[in-house]
Amino acid sequence: MTTSVISATGLMKVYGDLTAVNRVNLTVEKGALFGLLGPNGSGKSTMIKMLTGQIRPTAGTATVLGLEVQQNPIGVRERVGIIPEQETPPSFLTATEYLQFVGAIRKIPDIRERAAWWFDFLDFKDKKDVLCKDLSRGTRQKLMFAQAFIHTPALALIDEPLINFDPIMQHVVKDYLTNYIKAGNTIFLSTHILEVAEEICSDFAILHKGNILHTGKVADLTAEHRHLDDFFLDLVQGNRNV
Amino acid sequence: MFELFIAMVKEEWRVHSTMFGSLSFALFPILIFWIAFMGSFLLPLMRKSLPSGELSLVLHANYLMLGFMVGAFGLLGSEVMNRRFGQASLLSYSARSLPLSERFIFANFVIKDTLYYFVLWVLPLALGFLLASPFISVPLTLPLLLSLTLTLSFLFGLCAVFFLSSIYSRSKPALAAILGILVIAAGTLAFLTGKNPAMFFPPLMLFNAFSWLNLILSLVAIVLLFSVSIWIFSPETSGTTKYYADMLTPVTRKLSFFPTPPLAAKDLIDMYRSGGMIGQTLFSFVIPLVVIWFFLSLLNGYLPSNGVLLEFALVTGVIASTMYTWLTMFDTFGAYSCLPVSVRTLIKSKIASFSVLQLIPAVFVAIVATLSGQVMYLIPAVVICLSVSFYCLGVTIWLTGLSPSVLVYNVKVMMTYLILIGIVLISLSAVAFASPFTSLGAVILFVPAVFFARLGFAKWEAAEQPGF
Repeated sequence: MTTSVISATGLMKVYGDLTAVNRVNLTVEKGALFGLLGPNGSGKSTMIKMLTGQIRPTAGTATVLGLEVQQNPIGVRERVGIIPEQETPPSFLTATEYLQFVGAIRKIPDIRERAAWWFDFLDFKDKKDVLCKDLSRGTRQKLMFAQAFIHTPALALIDEPLINFDPIMQHVVKDYLTNYIKAGNTIFLSTHILEVAEEICSDFAILHKGNILHTGKVADLTAEHRHLDDFFLDLVQGNRNV
Repeated sequence: MFELFIAMVKEEWRVHSTMFGSLSFALFPILIFWIAFMGSFLLPLMRKSLPSGELSLVLHANYLMLGFMVGAFGLLGSEVMNRRFGQASLLSYSARSLPLSERFIFANFVIKDTLYYFVLWVLPLALGFLLASPFISVPLTLPLLLSLTLTLSFLFGLCAVFFLSSIYSRSKPALAAILGILVIAAGTLAFLTGKNPAMFFPPLMLFNAFSWLNLILSLVAIVLLFSVSIWIFSPETSGTTKYYADMLTPVTRKLSFFPTPPLAAKDLIDMYRSGGMIGQTLFSFVIPLVVIWFFLSLLNGYLPSNGVLLEFALVTGVIASTMYTWLTMFDTFGAYSCLPVSVRTLIKSKIASFSVLQLIPAVFVAIVATLSGQVMYLIPAVVICLSVSFYCLGVTIWLTGLSPSVLVYNVKVMMTYLILIGIVLISLSAVAFASPFTSLGAVILFVPAVFFARLGFAKWEAAEQPGF
């Protein structure tokens, strides 16, 4: 029996004349590595922000890990891990201090050991005492990745997590994500890098101009000998022509 | 190449209008004009109690400070903007990808700031004064001269901060030596002439006694500062990485009595590492208050014996409330978006940090009370100061949430603030003059302070936060 960890019903976000997300219905099952795919500006980041209570939807409801997001946004953020669209760790804290800070807010008792593990794992031990403002974008992204998973949440919502990583680090992170799922956790990943989605995602949805065009399983596409990028392009370009 | 200049002007406008709202920001020069126009009618009255030379000194000092602040924002701009808007990028940084030299970009930046702030701050003030001058028997040439000398003061501040920062980037001992020489020169000047050394500030000398020589002196000083800045300006960073020991853990431990120790620790570390602690205390607090004390002391003959001290405590309270800005300068709620922290928790933590900073005004007022020989009024003065400060903080939180800088340029917010603060200041002044010890009742201001803060929690919790 499957259990849904994310459930969105009629979720909508309007900014003035722009409908960023248009009455989206979505379910993510426990243990899925769910990829929300879409071109730039399709509403992927807005979806993550609504699902984590960072912004309020104009209409609709969402439940994450059994919590109503609008009713209890802090409760949701306590239980999930988030990598935001922009990597913005506090400028005047060092990488170590930022993870200590996250640990203190999230009340993680063994934060020192966990932080040390992440510095080793993502290979940025040499930058751990450098101010966040002086870190490269790639290192900031490593730090944001570490803060999202440092409390081993049952669900992580991650926005373009690989975008600033070099190929070696992309490989390390992709391995980490697939193992994380094998351990019984769930990941909601937003990306426009289709190769990555095809390689690691179990389920996917294609979002275009705020509308869900398709939801399905990557395995079903593979069974039909179709590639995700062809499928995506057909769907999005077809929709664009319409 | 004119395109860069135009784009920079547009960018400056959009930064301000995004932060403060287009209409509110557009109304700002009109407000300055109106204040200058109406304020000009007070000049004949003020002249009876204040030497006009002191008034012009303060006006020029304010525009010098404005130049300092604008210049400092230019240098720290990307950092502040990143905290405010996420990954913001200013043209002065991003134009590096274009085939333009750093010096060219820098020169455009200075010219843009000069024109932009002339239109925003200098022109409205000069126009207000100019239109009022026929009614207060002031020659028309005076407002014109004032607009020239205030522009020069602003430029002086702008170029001075570029000069000092360029020196700093090359050699810290050289900066210390230059500052030392300036202090010695000011002291020597005061000793030899028996005059306030500020009177030798070139734009002020020009205002007090117009001559072509004084004009040339002002221009040469500014051009010299600007040219040396451009000459020694080094766009390359040193390339050495600085490492810092963990401060968060020990500071969090020390602040364990706070409601959210890690947030408070982060505030203090932000202030310490950004260099804001000493600079802000000096430039935003001590120097303005020393000037205000000087002016209030001129009113000694017109106020009750305790009046100057208690009035000073009131003003100190208002200025002390701006310490909230120090705590929010590098911070927006967006930085906490991936953590389980509510807006209410964050603002409460800022209030706790603010409370610690209130030691500075409390000690400052106590020292002034002691040094001015009115130690018997020390307790009422400190109580007034802190009560007013917390009341202003409550109003600020309600009106601006985590963006108190909105107060400066959003006319609607500023007017509401001025009315709410004005009523309290006038009432409290009356009570303090009548009976100093009755003013201990100012503690009652903590009630509306809490009320406004709670309104603010609800208001900003419901609002979508920038940076998300």
